Amino acid sequence: MAGETLIRQMAAGDREAFGSFYDRYASLVYPLIVRIVRDRSDAADVLQDVFWEAWQGATSYDPGRGTPEAWMIMRARARAIDRVRSVRRRGETFVAPVDEKLAAAPDVAGGDAAERAADRDVVQGALSQLPLAQREVIELAYYAGLTQTEIAERLQQPLGTVKTRIRLGLERLREVMGRAT
Amino acid sequence: MNHDPFDTLAAVYAVGALDGDDLVQFEAHLAGGCSRCRTTLRQSHEALTRVAQAEPRAIPPAEVKDALLHRINGTAARRAERRSWVPWAAATAAAMVVSAMLTGGFVASRYEGKIGQMAREVSRIRDESRRRDTTLTAQIGEYRHALALLGKPATQVVELRGSGPAAAATGRVVWHEHSGGYLVVDKLPPLPPGKAYEAWTLGGPAPRPAGVFTVDASGQGRRKLEPTGDAPAKGFAVSIEPEAGVTEPTGPIVLASR
Repeated sequence: MAGETLIRQMAAGDREAFGSFYDRYASLVYPLIVRIVRDRSDAADVLQDVFWEAWQGATSYDPGRGTPEAWMIMRARARAIDRVRSVRRRGETFVAPVDEKLAAAPDVAGGDAAERAADRDVVQGALSQLPLAQREVIELAYYAGLTQTEIAERLQQPLGTVKTRIRLGLERLREVMGRAT
Repeated sequence: MNHDPFDTLAAVYAVGALDGDDLVQFEAHLAGGCSRCRTTLRQSHEALTRVAQAEPRAIPPAEVKDALLHRINGTAARRAERRSWVPWAAATAAAMVVSAMLTGGFVASRYEGKIGQMAREVSRIRDESRRRDTTLTAQIGEYRHALALLGKPATQVVELRGSGPAAAATGRVVWHEHSGGYLVVDKLPPLPPGKAYEAWTLGGPAPRPAGVFTVDASGQGRRKLEPTGDAPAKGFAVSIEPEAGVTEPTGPIVLASR
């Protein structure tokens, strides 16, 4: 069943539709959340928040503004970044991840998280098709939650350069991803 | 007007990295109804979504779905209970007994959840008020611009008359040769999706585009007009065009100066 239909049914309070909706989209948004928050128990919390919001906000979904996939991905990214920022703020209470695969990554508490997001050697998928300088700024923004000013400071680059790189990177990404489908 | 800077701001906004004055400026621009930026944002989000879709999927822990279904069924059950206060009171009493038996850790995690929810609510309200603030700031900027124009001796006020499909429409341009101007319109019919009104300055060898705008449900709209540079403007017109704007008029003229 199409995602849009499921959301409509959820808006009408259909709990079974919610189950199907979860089955369909949880495995899509979960890797993104893990990638951003990195701690798996945090990721599970964020995932729960994201779907709870989707259930409560189903009536406000507007197909004209994007696909259900984009609706969920945007929500997941936003909530995961909220979580990372709040963890960063109360850095001292952060407990380093114990998950084996994630243990190699330094914790999110320090500013290092952003650097790690940019040069992690995990598979970068579609982003790897961008020139490094463009990929770097998009990852710092989208996955590490840094603002343009923070990125400029971190990379020691003029603000204008950072903005231009983001724009070029995103234009290229739209082109590449448009072609892929 | 040159749209290029907004293309850049739209990209930075799409990855959530816009801040400071840029953010204020872009949100004001977006609140003005720029369909080009909306399209850029939608396409950017779709592209970023496809990046996520291209990544390998991962099955989340099963507890998450269980917890969600429990939560949803819980709210549905509570809704039903409210209809009669007796079972509701019994449920409340039971809940009180149960919660009294619970460990501090559970209570703490509940509060943490509540605090998280409140924090999101606060941040939503803050975003909302910032958006309103941005819109108001943009409006004040426009009014200030129009007011500053009126204070200059060389400023003219030019009446526009409706024609063609908008015979009842009226318009007025406050115009200063070097500072540009400000157009207000009334009773222009709302347009179908994909279309917008475009203002033109006349007087050169060909009409020059002065900006695209839309009107609200009552047919009112306004638009800041850029100065024309060397050739002085001798008149103004408004036509119906594709929403992205065109460089020379193609659609029917709906307003024109005498």
